[in-house]
Amino acid sequence: MTRITIDRLSKRFEQQQVLDDLSLDIEDGHFFTLLGPSGCGKTTLLRCLAGFARPEAGRILFDGEDITAVPAYERNIGMVFQDYALFPDKSVFDNVAYGLRARKLAREGVRSRTDEALAQVDLATLGSRFPAQLSGGQRQRVALARALVIKPRLLLMDEPLSNLDAKLRLAMREAILDLQRATRITTVFVTHDQEEALALSDRIAVMQGGRLAQQGAPRELWDAPVTAYVADFIGSANLLKVRVLAPGRVAVDAAGAVVAGAGAAVHGADTGALPAGAAGLWVLRPEALQLAGASGGEGSDAAGRLPATVARRQYLGARTSYRVTLAGGQALRLEQPGPPAFEVGAAVAVLVPRDGRVVAG
Amino acid sequence: MGHTSTLPSSRPRWRPPAWLGWPWGVLSAACLAVLALFVVLPIGVLTLNSLKGPGGAFSLGGFAKVLATPEYLQAIGNTVLLSSAVTLCAVALGAPLAYLVARFDFPGKRWLAVLPLATIVIPEVIVGQSWLMVLGNNGLVSNALRELGVPVPSFYGWTGLVFSMTLVYYTYIYLGVLAALRGFDGQLEEASLSLGATPAATRWKVLLPTVAPAILVNALVVFTLAVGNFALSSMLGGGVPLLSVLTYSLFVSEVGGDPVLQSSLSVISIALVAGVLAVQKWGVERRLVHMTPGRAPAAQPVHSWRAALFAALAGGVVALSLMPLAAVLVGAFTEARGPVMHWGNFSLRSMERALSLAPEPILNSLLFATLATLAGTTLAVAVSYLVVKRKSRLSGALDVATVVPLTISGTVLGIALMQSFNTGPLVLTGTAVIMVLVYVVRRLPFGVRNASSMLYNIPSSIEEASISLGVTPLATFGKVVLPVMKGSILSAAILMWATSISELSASIVVYSGGLETMPIAIFRQVDTGRLGLASAYGTALVTLILVPVLLAPRLLKINLFSLK
Repeated sequence: MTRITIDRLSKRFEQQQVLDDLSLDIEDGHFFTLLGPSGCGKTTLLRCLAGFARPEAGRILFDGEDITAVPAYERNIGMVFQDYALFPDKSVFDNVAYGLRARKLAREGVRSRTDEALAQVDLATLGSRFPAQLSGGQRQRVALARALVIKPRLLLMDEPLSNLDAKLRLAMREAILDLQRATRITTVFVTHDQEEALALSDRIAVMQGGRLAQQGAPRELWDAPVTAYVADFIGSANLLKVRVLAPGRVAVDAAGAVVAGAGAAVHGADTGALPAGAAGLWVLRPEALQLAGASGGEGSDAAGRLPATVARRQYLGARTSYRVTLAGGQALRLEQPGPPAFEVGAAVAVLVPRDGRVVAG
Repeated sequence: MGHTSTLPSSRPRWRPPAWLGWPWGVLSAACLAVLALFVVLPIGVLTLNSLKGPGGAFSLGGFAKVLATPEYLQAIGNTVLLSSAVTLCAVALGAPLAYLVARFDFPGKRWLAVLPLATIVIPEVIVGQSWLMVLGNNGLVSNALRELGVPVPSFYGWTGLVFSMTLVYYTYIYLGVLAALRGFDGQLEEASLSLGATPAATRWKVLLPTVAPAILVNALVVFTLAVGNFALSSMLGGGVPLLSVLTYSLFVSEVGGDPVLQSSLSVISIALVAGVLAVQKWGVERRLVHMTPGRAPAAQPVHSWRAALFAALAGGVVALSLMPLAAVLVGAFTEARGPVMHWGNFSLRSMERALSLAPEPILNSLLFATLATLAGTTLAVAVSYLVVKRKSRLSGALDVATVVPLTISGTVLGIALMQSFNTGPLVLTGTAVIMVLVYVVRRLPFGVRNASSMLYNIPSSIEEASISLGVTPLATFGKVVLPVMKGSILSAAILMWATSISELSASIVVYSGGLETMPIAIFRQVDTGRLGLASAYGTALVTLILVPVLLAPRLLKINLFSLK
C-alpha cells in the first residue's frame, strides 16, 4: 500500500536534538517497529510521520511523494494512541464512524463499514456503549477499529499496549498481528518493549539519541547486534570486556579471569570487523550461558570456562536466575532452566558458548 | 476488509499560507487585540490621566494632592483597615466551619450545602439593602429592640461594614478550606499518629501546615474583594470614608471635569490590589502543598451537647447567610411607604410597580446579562483553549492579559472605560455595549480559570485522533473539544449570568439614561428611601438568578460548584 521514505530528518526541541539527520526506508506492507528507551526520538519520528510534529530539515515521502508539508488531516493515516484517545462523549459506534463521516461517506456506507470494523475487532455487540463503560482491552480495540476503518495508507501505533496488564497485552499483540497480516497496511509501531518488537515486527529500527543504532529483521538484531547499546537493549545481554587477538579469537581481559583453552585465547567468538588488538565487548545472553560446578562441565563444546561465585539467585518458576561474580570482579547474569541448583556463595564455572558476538567496546 | 473499493481520502483543500498562523495564531491575535483594547488600553489611559498636570504636561500633582488631603489618606487607611478586619473575621468564621463540616457529622449538616449557593444567588446590593431593612435606623430588629427599651447602636459605619462583608466573604474561606480538607490524605495523619504524635500535635503539625496555604490564598482573595467592594461600602458605610466610595463620588461629581484626581485614586487602588495579588502569586502559591489525593478521613458522628452546639452553629450561619434573601422576598410583598416598611401588612403594590409600570431595569438586565453571558463565555473558552492547548508567545501574552482585570475593582474599571471610550475614535458610552463590556471584563479571569481547569483534563491525543482521521484542527475543536467541555461551559455560562446580572460597582459608573439595570435601580431606590420598590426589583433579580442555578444541575446534569 505505501512505502515510506524518511530522508535526513532533523528535529529539535529547545536545546535537545530529538531527531538527528535520520534516514530510514519502510517497505510497503511491513510491520515496522521503532524501538528504544524514552527520549530516543521514536515517538517524535512517529509524530513527524503523522504530521503532528514538523521537522526542521529533511523530507518524508509516501510512495515517492513528498508529504512533509501536508497537514495531518490530509495524510490519510490511522493512528492508535497510547491512551487510546477515544472521544469520551461519543459511543463506540460513533467513535469508529468518525473518520468515515469526516470523509462524507453516505449513511449506509458508514453503517456497514463501521459494523464490519467492529466485528473485525470482536466488538460487534458493543457499538452503543461509551468509552467509560469499556475495559482497557476493549478500548484498545475500538481505537484500532477507528484507525483501520478509514483504510489508511499508513497505520501508526504509539506504545498501544503499554497501558494493558500482562495477560491482555499478549492477547492484544496477537490481535494486532492478525489484523495487520490480514490487511497488510504498512504499520509503524513504537515501543520500548523489546519482546513486543521481536514478536510483531517484520523489521525493527533501534533508535539512540535521535539516530538509528541498527535496523534489521528481529533475528538479525538478536543474533548480530552491531553495538553494545543494541545488544544491551535487545535481550539485555551481559557485556564481557575482551581484547580481540585475531578474527574469531578473543582474550578475556578481566584481571584474574582464567580462560580455558590455549593460553588467554578463546576461539569461536564472532569478532566481525574488529581488528586485532581492539577492545571489545562480548555479547553473552543470560540464557546462552551455562552454569557448572567448579570442576564440572568438562567435555562440553563451550568456548571458555570462567570461574565465578554465585552472588544471588532468584527462583522464577520454570527458570532460575543467577547473578555470579567472576574472579576479576565483573558480574554476569544467567538464566538456567529448572529449579535452583547452586547455593549463594558456591564456587561455579560459567560456560561460554562459541557463537557469541563481539562488538566494539 | 470486505470492501475492496478505496475510500475517498480527505481531499486536499486550500491552505492559508503558513505565515498567517491559521487558525490558532490568528485567533490568539484577535483575542489579544480585544483584551488590549478593552483591558490594557483603559488602564493605560487611566494611568496617563493620573500623571497629567495642568495643560496636559507630566505631573505627579494628582498623587501629591491625594497625599496632602487628610480625607483621602484616611480613606486609604480605612480601606486597608476594613479589608484586614473583614479578612480576619471571614477566616475566623469560614475555616472552623469548614473543619466542622469536613470532620464531623451532626444534625442539619446538609443544610450547609446551600452556602455556596447563597453567595452566587444573593447580590451584594441586596445584602446591603436587607441588613439596612433589618438592622438599619428604621430596621425591623432595631425598632423591635428600641420598643423593648434596649439601646441600639447605629449599624452604619464600621459595625455594619465588617458584619455584612464578613457574612458575604466568609464563604470563600469556607469553600477553599473545605476543598483542602477534603483533598487531605488521611494516611498522613495516621502516619503521624503511628509515629507517636498525639492527636492534638498531629492536627497542629500535619493538618494545619497543609491547610494553611489554602486559608492564606483565599484570605488574600477576600482582602482584594473587600478593597474593591462598592455596594456594601456605600450603603452601610455611614460616615466612614472608603477608597471605592470616594473614587465613585469623585467621578460622579467630576464628570466632564478634571479626571486627574479620580485617576490617581484609581491607580492607588489598582496598586493596592496588584500588590496583594503579587504576594499571593509569588509568596503563597508556591507554598501550596500539592498532595497526591488520598482518602480524606471520614466524618465522625458527634452526639449530645456537641451535636446540639454544632447544629446550632451551622444553623446560625445558614440563617444569617440566607436572611437577605428572606428579607427582600418579604419586603417585596410588604406595604411600604418610602423608607418605612409596614411589616405584616402585605401588598402587591411594589411588585406591580416594578413589573408593569417600571420594568425597564428588568428588561435591560436581561438583555445585557444575556449578551454578556454569550460573549463572555465564548471569549473565556476561546482564550483558555489558546492558552492551555495552543501555547505560543501570543497565547502567553493572552494568559497574562486575562489576569489583569483581577487587579481592577469594579469602580476603577468603570472609570477607566469611561475615560477611554467617552470620546475619541471609539465612543461606547451611552450604549449597551459598554454595559456588556464591564460584565464581560469583570468575569473574564474567572471564566478563563474555570474553562482552563477543564481543558487541562482533556488529553491532546483526542484532538490528534480526530485530526489524523481527516478533520481540520478548527473543526476538531468544534466536533471533539466543545462536546467534551459542554457541561463545564454551561456551568461557566450560568455563573457568568449570575455575576453579570448582579453587577453593580462598574455598571453604576458607566450607565447612563435608559441603561439602568436592576442592581442600579435597587441601589438608587434604597438611596432615595424607596425600600418597597427596591425589594421588588430585588425579588425579580434573585428569581432570574435562581432559576438557571436551580434548574441547570437537574436538567443538564452538571455540577455548578465543581467550578467556582
